[in-house]
Amino acid sequence: MFSGTPLLDKIQYELGAQEPWPKDVKLYQPYEVEQILLPDNANCLAVQAFLRMCNLTFEVVSKSNAEFMSPSGKVPFIRCGAFVISELEPIVQFVNTKGISLTSELESDQKSDMRAYMSLVHNVLENSELYLCWCDKETYNEVTKPRNGSVYPWPLNHLQTWTKKSHVIKRLKMMGWFSKTIDQVYHEVENCCQALADRLEGKEFFFGKNPTELDALIFGHLFTILTTPLPNSHIANIVRNFPSLINLVQRVEKDYFKRDTMR
Amino acid sequence: MGIVYAKDKSHGIQAPKINYDDCDSVETREINLEGVRARVDRIHINGLARTKNDYVEGAVQDLFQAVDFQDVLLKAHTVRNKLNSLGCFQNIGVFIDTSKGAKATPEGLEVTFYVRELKRVIGGINTQVGENEGSLVIGLRAPNMFGRGERVQTEFSYGSKNTNNFNVSFIKPFTGKRSPVFSSSIYQATSEWPSSGYKQVDLGLILDFGLHSWPLIKHNFQWDVAIRDLSVLTKGSSFAIREESGVSLKSALRHILSVDVRDDNIFPSCGSLFKYTTEFAGAGGDVGFVKNDVFLQTNYSLFSDCVVQASANAGILNSLGNDWRLGLMDMYYLGGPLSLRGFRMRGVGPHSEGDALGSTWFWGSGLHLFTPLPFRPGKGGFGELFRTHLFVNAGNIGNFEGEEAFVEKVKTNIRVAYGIGLAMRLGQMARIEINYCFPHSFQETDLSQPGVQFGIGVQFL
Repeated sequence: MFSGTPLLDKIQYELGAQEPWPKDVKLYQPYEVEQILLPDNANCLAVQAFLRMCNLTFEVVSKSNAEFMSPSGKVPFIRCGAFVISELEPIVQFVNTKGISLTSELESDQKSDMRAYMSLVHNVLENSELYLCWCDKETYNEVTKPRNGSVYPWPLNHLQTWTKKSHVIKRLKMMGWFSKTIDQVYHEVENCCQALADRLEGKEFFFGKNPTELDALIFGHLFTILTTPLPNSHIANIVRNFPSLINLVQRVEKDYFKRDTMR
Repeated sequence: MGIVYAKDKSHGIQAPKINYDDCDSVETREINLEGVRARVDRIHINGLARTKNDYVEGAVQDLFQAVDFQDVLLKAHTVRNKLNSLGCFQNIGVFIDTSKGAKATPEGLEVTFYVRELKRVIGGINTQVGENEGSLVIGLRAPNMFGRGERVQTEFSYGSKNTNNFNVSFIKPFTGKRSPVFSSSIYQATSEWPSSGYKQVDLGLILDFGLHSWPLIKHNFQWDVAIRDLSVLTKGSSFAIREESGVSLKSALRHILSVDVRDDNIFPSCGSLFKYTTEFAGAGGDVGFVKNDVFLQTNYSLFSDCVVQASANAGILNSLGNDWRLGLMDMYYLGGPLSLRGFRMRGVGPHSEGDALGSTWFWGSGLHLFTPLPFRPGKGGFGELFRTHLFVNAGNIGNFEGEEAFVEKVKTNIRVAYGIGLAMRLGQMARIEINYCFPHSFQETDLSQPGVQFGIGVQFL
């Protein structure tokens, strides 16, 4: 049993890396229609976009307990042979060890640029999505509560939602987001989108003609924000003010997600 | 045994038939107590403070039925045991005297019980070393809270791996010939199963109502509701286990019927134990199944201290359907020093990457020959804590799926192991076994463990 020690994990990781991408890779995520929440959906979509950009085959499996199955407690995660890897960055790293990379042609300063923007997206978009879902009363009561509790029987649904809420609030407090007002959150989103739009300028993707994991991440978040019906659609309206970002989202959707239906 | 004082007073009691057997040096008198007619006029209980009178009244009633002096002595002893079992007193002394006063009958006796009540709160702190973890256990007990045997027991344990467990229970015995007892407890329990690769945290409530329908037949009716959080134990746990992780809510109704006519819990020499458990989960929650378990043990004394023990254990689990969940913790497992010796813990049956997955039916059986230690060192004392035993275990486990008839499945691929070992009594509850096992027939997927095996537990097969 390979367990516990980081060294063994590392060795196993390296050994597994030598094998090619298997055919039966599965991506686990919560139920899209009735269960998944805005931030989780964004992250799942980002990973899907990344894998599609790398032209890797995978199958999406919906599981109500995906969050608990994940080694890090966050969705999505992929199962590739004996490996179970969760969240975008570790998955990108894992794919890199197989010799597949979207950033191989980037300069090192571009790579660090990309990482900076990715952490900006994580920090601003993810936290504001969490804020909206868990701290905005209307959204919490009308969307988050029924959706998060939908897979549990009464009274476990209330308990689980309440536990998760306290976890999220703890995280937001730690990041200094809990004390913000909703208007401040909108302002942060606007600033973030402005920064991204500035970086994008008129280019097809952030770093030239080919997409990177940053494009995948931004696609995941913005597409979810734009398409998820919420009682409060102000955040989607903010994003709509940036046509270059909308174009990027549409391009990724057309290039990487519409193909399936056309085939 | 308490102190029994018996004063011999010639007046007031009918002249006893006394046989004088002359011995050479020692003067002994033999009194035929059965012949001494007696009647208990009064019973006193001294030392009751917060205990209510009506609560002890029931326990002493029997004593009024006594007709002769021997009867009085025997009944006084049983009453003393009854008082003891009320769980309110530290120690109990018995004093028997002739009855005096206006209403005294000629052959009347007065029996006085001197009792000392337990303190209001009893507590203790101790340390425990379990599987890869040390923990600090704090226990508090408040016996006889309101004077009718009600008690509250609490136990908190803080583990070195941040596993905090607790158990708070309230127990209320009722007086009556069926001796009903009501108890309720709230608990949080963490358990780790390395053999199945999962960890489980339960937070639950149990309401239990127990009564005797016949002096020896005990029923327990339980409602058990628990939130169970299952997670993988290590990163290396198999994916099949990982798929089962998550939170589930079980609400189960349970009936336990038990008949125990053995003369001892650990090393019985005669008598049988029968236990039948029916559990229905699905009264709320998302876990649904019907489970029937049976445990049977019979003991037969061959000669002097050689005891043959036969035991059998079986269970069937039926899911309520696809809408209901069935957790790893609800399944049956077989193998290990407490069940099928000669195999690893949960080592028999379906596995996925070395993790036991559990099954929906199983049976196991054991045949033992218990003998005292060879050459009997420490006879009558320390040596009585030990027994050597020869054993044969057989069992089978599987799932309902598949074409094959159930009866066929149960009969094929029976696992058998035999061996020899040493068993030691640990208090009145548990026993330790060190065995040398020879697995005789098993499947390729089973994890057999030939050689030395160590086991500690309460119920062995």
